[in-house]
Amino acid sequence: MKPRASGWIFAAPYLTLFTAFVVGPLLFGFALSLFRWELLSNVKPTFVGFENYAEAFRDPYVHQALGATLRFVWMAVPATILLALVIATGLNAVAGKRQGFWRACIYVPHLLTVSVAGILWRWFYNKEFGILNAFLRPIGIEIPWLSDVAWAMPAIVLMTLWWTLGGPSVVLLSGLQNIPVSYLEAASLDGATPTQRYFRIILPLLRPVLLFVTVMHVIGGFQVFGQVYMITRGGPELSTRSLVQYIYETAFNNYRMGYAAALSWILFAVIAIFTLVQFRLMREERS
Amino acid sequence: MTTPRRAVLTALGGMLAAPGILSGCSSNVIGGRKQTTIRFWNGFTGPDGRTMLGLVRKFNEQNPDVHVVMQRMDWGTFYNKLFVAGLGGRAPECFVLHTRAMLRFALAGFAAPLDTFVAGENGLPESDFEPGVWGATTYKDEHFGIPLDVHAMGMYTNRALLKEAGWNPDTPPTNTDEFVDVCKRVRKLPKGDSERYGFVFTNLETNGYTLIRQFGGNVFTPDMQTCILNSPENQNGLTFGRSLIEDGLVPSPENFDAWIGFRQGRVAMAFEGIYMLADLQRQKDLDYGGAPVPQFGTTKAVWADSHNLCMRRGLDPATAAASWRFMRFLSNNSLEWALGGQIPTRISQLESPEFAKMEVQAQFAKQVKIVKYHPKVPFIFEYLTEFTLAVEKVLRGREKAPTALKTAEDNINRIIERQRKQGVSGGGQA
Repeated sequence: MKPRASGWIFAAPYLTLFTAFVVGPLLFGFALSLFRWELLSNVKPTFVGFENYAEAFRDPYVHQALGATLRFVWMAVPATILLALVIATGLNAVAGKRQGFWRACIYVPHLLTVSVAGILWRWFYNKEFGILNAFLRPIGIEIPWLSDVAWAMPAIVLMTLWWTLGGPSVVLLSGLQNIPVSYLEAASLDGATPTQRYFRIILPLLRPVLLFVTVMHVIGGFQVFGQVYMITRGGPELSTRSLVQYIYETAFNNYRMGYAAALSWILFAVIAIFTLVQFRLMREERS
Repeated sequence: MTTPRRAVLTALGGMLAAPGILSGCSSNVIGGRKQTTIRFWNGFTGPDGRTMLGLVRKFNEQNPDVHVVMQRMDWGTFYNKLFVAGLGGRAPECFVLHTRAMLRFALAGFAAPLDTFVAGENGLPESDFEPGVWGATTYKDEHFGIPLDVHAMGMYTNRALLKEAGWNPDTPPTNTDEFVDVCKRVRKLPKGDSERYGFVFTNLETNGYTLIRQFGGNVFTPDMQTCILNSPENQNGLTFGRSLIEDGLVPSPENFDAWIGFRQGRVAMAFEGIYMLADLQRQKDLDYGGAPVPQFGTTKAVWADSHNLCMRRGLDPATAAASWRFMRFLSNNSLEWALGGQIPTRISQLESPEFAKMEVQAQFAKQVKIVKYHPKVPFIFEYLTEFTLAVEKVLRGREKAPTALKTAEDNINRIIERQRKQGVSGGGQA
C-alpha cells in the first residue's frame, strides 16, 4: 500500500467525524444565515442573502453583547496568562511531592462544572448576604458585586480566574519543565542574574506554549457563556450579556434561526481575526 | 427563493430528536393485552417532580392498558427540546406548557386544541375551572391546555421578624400604608450582624408586572397590535417601587439572591410565586407564613402563570384517547399536586376542606380571581427582555420611569412591526 493511501486510511475515522460534526454543521449554519427563517412564521424560509448580517450590524443589542464579550476577553485573558505564569513559575520552584500537592490544589476548581462554580460564586457575591462582603464590611467596604453595571463584569472575570487558572498554570508549568537546564546553567556561568535568566532565556523559550495558551483563552473568552448565564444571566441591565448568550436567546428563545446563524458566523469571524492577529504578532516578534 | 421547508424541518428536528425516536410512542402487547405508551415531558425537576412521578405511577397502576413514561428536564432545556422535537414530528404525546409559552406552540401547530375532549363523554366540567385561568389557555376560541395549577405570586412573611418589629404576624399588611409601616419598623430594629429589611425585590419581572397592573396599567392595546408600556399608570407603578428604594426602606435589587436573604431570616416580606413554597417546607428554622400581596395601586392584581397539560397535534384516535385519559386523571387529582406547593385550578378543589388545610396555598389562592398573566404574544421572550430591562433600570435608579418605559415601548413596537412583515401572526389578551 502506498504511504499516501495508508495515511488517508488512518485519518479516515477522524475525518469522517470531523466532517459530520464540524464541517457539515458549519456549512449548514452558513447556508442558514442566508435565509430568513422564523420558526413561528407562516412564511417559508426565504433566501435573503446577507440581509441577516446587515441587520446584525444595525442591532444595538449585538453591539452591546459584542462590547460585553470584548470587555470580558480584555480583562480575563491577560490576567489569566499573567497569573498562570506567576503560579507556574512558583510551582516550578517547589521541589518534589509538595509541587504535586500545590498543583492539585490549584487545579481542583477547574474540575467543578460551570453550574456548580456559578451558583457558588453567585452566593459569594450577594451584596447583602454574601461571604465576600461579610469579610469586607468590617473594614468599611461593601461592593455591589452583581447589582452594579461597573462591578458585574469584573466579578465574572474574578470567578473565571478562580475557576480556570489551574489549566493554563499546569500547561505553562510543563513548558517550564521542558526548558533544558543546561541553558540556565550556561547562563549562570556567564554571570546572568536570575532576572536576566527569566526574561532572556525562560520567557523566549516559553513563547510557543504562551502563544498556545493565549490563543486558546482568547477563543474561549469570546465564547464565554456558562458562568455569565449562571451568575448574572446577562444582567444587570444586559451589561454582561455575551454574544454567545445573545445567539442562544435569538435561536432558542426567539426562534430566529437564520439571524442566530448569521450572528454565529460574525462571532466566528471575530475570533478568527483575533487569532490570526496573535499568530502574526508572535511571528513578527520571532523574526 | 424558497426552500422545501418541511424537508429542512424534518431533517433538523429528526436529528435533534433522536432520543425521542428511540423511545417513541408505541403500542405493545403485554400479557395478551394491548398497551399504549404515552411519553410525558415536563420541567418538574424539583420536589414537584417527585409529586408528579407519584401521580404518574398511580395512573399506571389504575390503567394497565396505558403506560405513561415521564421525562423531566430543566425548563430551558425542556422548551428547546420540545420545540425541536415538534419540528421533527416527534414531540411527546403529552407535555406541560406554561400559559405564557402556549401561544407559540399553538401557532407552530404542535399543540392540539382540546375542546372536543373537554366537551366529550369523558370530558371535564368547564365550569369547574376558574374562568380567568381557563380563559388564558385560549387562542382563537380554542383551548390548547388544561390548567393544572395557577402559580400566583403571593407574599411570604417571616413571622418572627414581623413579631420582633411589633407587627402581628397573623394580620400581614394589606395596603400601602401598612406595608410601608412594616418596612420602617424593620429598618429601625438593631442591625445585628447584617442589614435587615422589611421587603426585597426578588424577581423584577413578576414584581414589576404586579406593580404596573395594580396601578391600572397594561402592556398592549386590546387588539395586541401596539405596545403601550409608557402609559402614566405603568409609570406610576414603577415610580412607586423606586420610591421604596429611595426612601431607604428596600435595598436596590440584587440579581437573584434576595430570596436567600428571606430564607436567612433577614427579610420580613417577599413577593414570590407559590413554587417557592417547597424551598421553605424543607427549612425548619424559619417561621414563615403566606398572604395575598398588598394592594398598592387602584386595582387588585398579581402576576401569575400556570402549568398546562397539552397534547400533541395529529395523534391517532386511540393514543389521543389514552393521552386524554391521563390528562383528565391529573386534573381530577390536582389536589395531590397542590400538596407539593401548588394551587389547583378546579373550583371544587379550591373549595375543598383538604385544600383549606394547606395554609400558604390557601392564602395565595385567595388571589386566584385577580391573577394577571403576561400578554399572549408570540415574541414573549423578546417582550420580557424589554419589559424586565425597563423595570430594572427604574428600580435601580438608572433611568426615570418615562424614559425606560419609552425605550422598551419603542423596541417592542419595532418587534411587532418585524413580526408583521415576516408573517408571524397571532396574539391575544390575557
